[in-house]
Amino acid sequence: MTDATAAEPTDNQAMEQSRDLSGARDMIACEGVSKWYGDFQALDGITATIKEQEVVVVLGPSGSGKSTWIRCINRLEVHQEGRIVVDDVELTNDLRNIEQVRSEVGMVFQLFNLFPHLKVIDNVSLAPIWVRKKPRAEAEEQAMALLERVGIPEQAHKYPGQLSGGQQQRVAIARALAMEPRIMLFDEPTSALDPEMIKEVLDVMKVLAQSGMTMMVVTHEMGFAKEVADRIIFMEEGQIVEQGTPQHFFENPTEDRTKLFLSQIL
Amino acid sequence: MSEMSSGLGVPTIPAPPEEPHLPPRQWIRENLFSSLFNTVLTIVSSLVILAIVRGLLAFIFNPQRQWEATATNLRLLMTQAYPEEQYLRVWVCVAVILTLTAMSMAVWRAGSAVPLPGVGRRLLSGGVLLALMALLAPFGTRSTFIWLVIGIVVAAGGEALRRFADEERSLSTLALLAMALGGLVATLWVVPYGSHTFNLQRTPRVLAEPGTVAMSTKLPWTLMLVVAVAAYFVGTLVRDRLPTNPLRATLLVTWLLMPPILLYLVLRDPSFDMGHVFTTDIPIFAAYAVLGGALLSWLTRPSTGEAGRIVAALVLVAGFAMFATPMRMIVRLDMLLLAGFALSAPTFSGGPRARRRYTAGWLGVLGMMSWLITAINTPSTVDVPGGFFIGGISLTLMVAIFTIVISFPLGLALALARTSNMPIFRLLATWFIEFVRGVPLITILIFFSIMVPLFLPPGMHLGEVAAVVIGYSLFSSAYLAENVRGGLQSVTRGQHEAAEAVGMTTSQKTVFIVLPQALRVAIPPLVGHCIGVFKETSLLAIIGLFDVLYIARYVMSNQTEFMGSTKENILFVSLIYWIFAYQMSKASQRLEQRTGLGER
Ligand SMILES: Nc1ncnc2c1ncn2[C@@H]1O[C@H](COP(=O)(O)OP(=O)(O)OP(=O)(O)O)[C@@H](O)[C@H]1O
Ligand SMILES: [Mg+2]
Repeated sequence: MTDATAAEPTDNQAMEQSRDLSGARDMIACEGVSKWYGDFQALDGITATIKEQEVVVVLGPSGSGKSTWIRCINRLEVHQEGRIVVDDVELTNDLRNIEQVRSEVGMVFQLFNLFPHLKVIDNVSLAPIWVRKKPRAEAEEQAMALLERVGIPEQAHKYPGQLSGGQQQRVAIARALAMEPRIMLFDEPTSALDPEMIKEVLDVMKVLAQSGMTMMVVTHEMGFAKEVADRIIFMEEGQIVEQGTPQHFFENPTEDRTKLFLSQIL
Repeated sequence: MSEMSSGLGVPTIPAPPEEPHLPPRQWIRENLFSSLFNTVLTIVSSLVILAIVRGLLAFIFNPQRQWEATATNLRLLMTQAYPEEQYLRVWVCVAVILTLTAMSMAVWRAGSAVPLPGVGRRLLSGGVLLALMALLAPFGTRSTFIWLVIGIVVAAGGEALRRFADEERSLSTLALLAMALGGLVATLWVVPYGSHTFNLQRTPRVLAEPGTVAMSTKLPWTLMLVVAVAAYFVGTLVRDRLPTNPLRATLLVTWLLMPPILLYLVLRDPSFDMGHVFTTDIPIFAAYAVLGGALLSWLTRPSTGEAGRIVAALVLVAGFAMFATPMRMIVRLDMLLLAGFALSAPTFSGGPRARRRYTAGWLGVLGMMSWLITAINTPSTVDVPGGFFIGGISLTLMVAIFTIVISFPLGLALALARTSNMPIFRLLATWFIEFVRGVPLITILIFFSIMVPLFLPPGMHLGEVAAVVIGYSLFSSAYLAENVRGGLQSVTRGQHEAAEAVGMTTSQKTVFIVLPQALRVAIPPLVGHCIGVFKETSLLAIIGLFDVLYIARYVMSNQTEFMGSTKENILFVSLIYWIFAYQMSKASQRLEQRTGLGER
């Protein structure tokens, strides 16, 4: 790593994990993406690429368009200008493209959005059975393995309403992983959780990042951003204001707006 | 896992611990006499209730009441003038229904266990109530005494059970039910209810003789009880030996097929013209079976793609075009059915097994429809006065059941169409619903019973009752759709997004995620609607069908022997309505509990 880290030994050693991804291929490529809600422009010419295995954290003040952008990537929102290419498939109105992209992109929501009428194990195995057409036994076996991985195999036969928030969010992560996605999107996965539950969810996400998953995470957890992110993108008013490694971003940001944002939250 | 395959989740969530039972005296003090105002309220309302009960009992047991009118006409109320010599058919139907009910109870593990002290508590209150009634009713001293003693004995037995029975020991509710029914049937053999018959065929003549009820009543009912209990045990055997899900699916399909089969094969006994059947009906069926099967087998192939959708649309157009040309109705209807199957084929495409299953489904539905249409258009061998071959409670129940069963899928489809994002569906569904809701039910019933037969193409007969059921189903589906739509709106946007984010198609999302949640929320209004449908069948009287209310109001009170028995008859009929409606609302409560509504 660079001298800056050496000069500041107190800094997180995690920053040294910054990997060299310059040779990796593009998983997500956005070119001049714009979106309007009526007259209001929520995204304004977003251009960015995300490499395979890269972990990108998106920061920005409330209302800056973070959720809108991340939701455009699996077409829960429709962009009006520009191009979005996910794993070499361009997002257009063609339904088959959309379904293909969605089955390769996992998404975790702020409010979990588990299916309340299905047991945890069915929440996880439903999509593999019906979308991936896996045999039921195999899908359930895989669901159990995933629940094991997120640390709650003993909850498999409960209903989501009987779990704590942190457990529910981990089920939601397992549900997304069950589709064996190549990319995972997280929209403020810990914002609806009590402080003591945040850690258990972040730990699962860290392990996932280390396993080489391509991840795009909207979060307000600066610790997580510093430790896990390969790159941080800062947005404001629907534009990307600044991006760089966590080290660059937190230690010597160039833009005034970034500095203002950091001074408010740190 | 069973809930996923049946579409609607039925989670069982352990009930919260019950509140401890207070001793009666303390309960009374806390709930009825806690303040001066409460005390006054309690006393006043008790007096009012007492007066009402007393009035009611005085009415019922007044010696002037002609209860023989209902006792004599029970058979008329049940099935109207269904011929005596064919009555075996009715009993076969009852037996089939009871068998299915008992088997389903076994397979779905209906019933629960009540601890013995709980049974005692109920006996105690029942006995006290009985004694109270005996005191209030205008009986002679002897009857009052006898009933008082019975009430006191029951209450004492209950109290003994409550005190001394082991809290651990319990009795299954089903055993209790069987015991109660057994007791009831046993009284048929010993209690001198009298033998009442009303002879309709020749000069109407009342027969009322002392003694127990007629053999033609008590023997079949005894057999029915035996059949039901036996069916329950067969059900438990089957349940423990066969895999659950296929068994339940088989039972559900049997339930769905049962009404038309019982009605059109057993009760109506169509006199098929075999020559016509072999030269016309079977060839038409065979042609559709073979050609349609081949078409569907091609359409469900995953490689078919866009060309398949175009062909399916062409079939639909052809189906509609056939209505402009002279043609047998069955040919047109089969074509429309084929179009429906063809349009939904891509959803079910897949491997050879899935495709074979879809084609088999087509054959089944096609065969059922061909047979039904032929049966409806064949005259019945059962000949009764008054248009339709059956009436009374049977007619009421039949119309209600058919209407509910038909309008349910229709209503679901309408609700989904009205909330879909395809403007043409949305528009059509909205128009239909708003139009139907703006027209009184009576108008629709009259229109379908009188006008529709005039519009039908020559060669097609639609029995009056079939026409009425279709009209009533359309009416009911509009209201049902609005209830379901309420449920659909309660499913949050997050649920839709979560389903979409894991790559589900719109139809998968609807079937697995949205509908189960929507229907669960919509249970109370849906059941309310079903009760309404059941009760409003009484409007059938206005278009001259012999439903139970019509018989009670106009037929029985015009019999020379029972002039002026209207009050009794109406009271009896309302009791019957109440029993069925109350059972429906109990079922709804149980369903709500089992699906955990209100727990979340
Ligand atoms: N469905 C919608 N209709 C109209 N405006 C919307 C809609 N969704 C979002 N917006 C607007 O778009 C802007 C960006 O919203 P977005 O949810 O992307 O912000 P965000 O960065 O995720 O904020 P937060 O940190 O509060 O979640 C906001 O100003 C919001 O008001
Ligand atoms: Mg947001």
